[in-house]
Amino acid sequence: MSTESKIRVLDPTGQPTIVQQGMADRPDTLDGAVIGLMANNKLNSEPLLEAIYDVLAERFELGGRVAVNKGDASRPADPGVLDGIASDVDVVITANGD
Amino acid sequence: MINMPFTSDAIEVDDALQAIELYAERGWTDGLPIVPPTEGLVARFVEALDVAPDTVLGVEPTKGAVITAEKAAINAVMAGCRPEYMPVLAAAIDAMTAPEFGLHGISVSTMGSAVLLIVNGPIATELEMNSGVSVFGPGNRANASIGRAIRLIIINVLGTRAGDLDKATVGHPGKYAWCIAENEELSPWVPVHETRGIPAGTSAVTVAPGLGPFQIGQHHDDSPERILDAFIDPLFAMGPLMTEALILLCPEHLEHFREAGWEKKQVGQYLHENARRSATEWTTAGRPVPGSEDGGDESVSALISPESLVTVVAGGGGGAWSQIIPTWTHGARAKIVTKPVSV
Repeated sequence: MSTESKIRVLDPTGQPTIVQQGMADRPDTLDGAVIGLMANNKLNSEPLLEAIYDVLAERFELGGRVAVNKGDASRPADPGVLDGIASDVDVVITANGD
Repeated sequence: MINMPFTSDAIEVDDALQAIELYAERGWTDGLPIVPPTEGLVARFVEALDVAPDTVLGVEPTKGAVITAEKAAINAVMAGCRPEYMPVLAAAIDAMTAPEFGLHGISVSTMGSAVLLIVNGPIATELEMNSGVSVFGPGNRANASIGRAIRLIIINVLGTRAGDLDKATVGHPGKYAWCIAENEELSPWVPVHETRGIPAGTSAVTVAPGLGPFQIGQHHDDSPERILDAFIDPLFAMGPLMTEALILLCPEHLEHFREAGWEKKQVGQYLHENARRSATEWTTAGRPVPGSEDGGDESVSALISPESLVTVVAGGGGGAWSQIIPTWTHGARAKIVTKPVSV
């Protein structure tokens, strides 16, 4: 078949917006660390995070915890919520407990 | 020859059938065959908007996916649109990428909602859109292809494919296409877009994150109160204190409201006042009232306010069949949005 008889069609897909984010520094130990528990508002996210915290508390001398709920599983947390927890804790755990 | 500066990759194929099969293999369809988006066709669709191909029509807020005129046009061609449908499609994209609409959540959720488009104003007539018999289809070119184009954009530009990002438990038939016009000619009431801030005479698109419709028949009584009483049990099935829901009134029901001199706002007022039961009854039915999960005697409405209902007039003249269309999270985390059509 000749090239002239071919047709050219266009790719309908979009390219994802990729932003390079650095990883947070990993602490050497959780001893003394204040743990942030960020729930995503799913039904079991808070119980799941509490269970994870309890496991960690058996292994480390934790410095306490700060629990927040970002209120909506399908949207990013508000910057104010992120800034608040970032200033109050040493590490953050988030979970999806549907 | 095409002079338009497209940025999308061009693929050379032998013929239309090969393009159809290729797009299906690559997951670029809704499962149905597409119209091959040749450069020439896509150029005509972009020209219909009178913008450059890289013009941004909307950005999905959660993932940052950009919907350009070029990508919208490609998917519109694939869906079977005509170029003159592009202004409606552009307004729909503008509306569904508004942050309050929650497009990402409604598109990926196990709850499985679809984007319902309601077109108002002169453009609905110009495009010969269906607002009457069998309004949800099938059969009307504009309704079907504009609705399908929105879904193809969600699949292809936003990357939200069923089974991949889209984890809907049972899906939604409206995810193939779900687009209607309001029957403004028949309605004595202010049309939907005007109740939502769009000036009279301006065309507009309203997008709603719709769950499965519930069809309601009431052929046995012609008083507005008795007609609306038939909506109460279905509202109970949806849960307490809904922030938003759609009610679609068919012409036969509407005529009884007209004869009784009812205003549009009375529909919401009546159902807010009468679709009520105790917190204990809500709990027993498996729809506990937040904060009163253990029940109680207080009366709790299915609607959080009389304004929670968005009332739309559509459908054919024969038969007394209306609908309630609940919305994703019942309006708590996704809102109905209306945007004007720019032509």
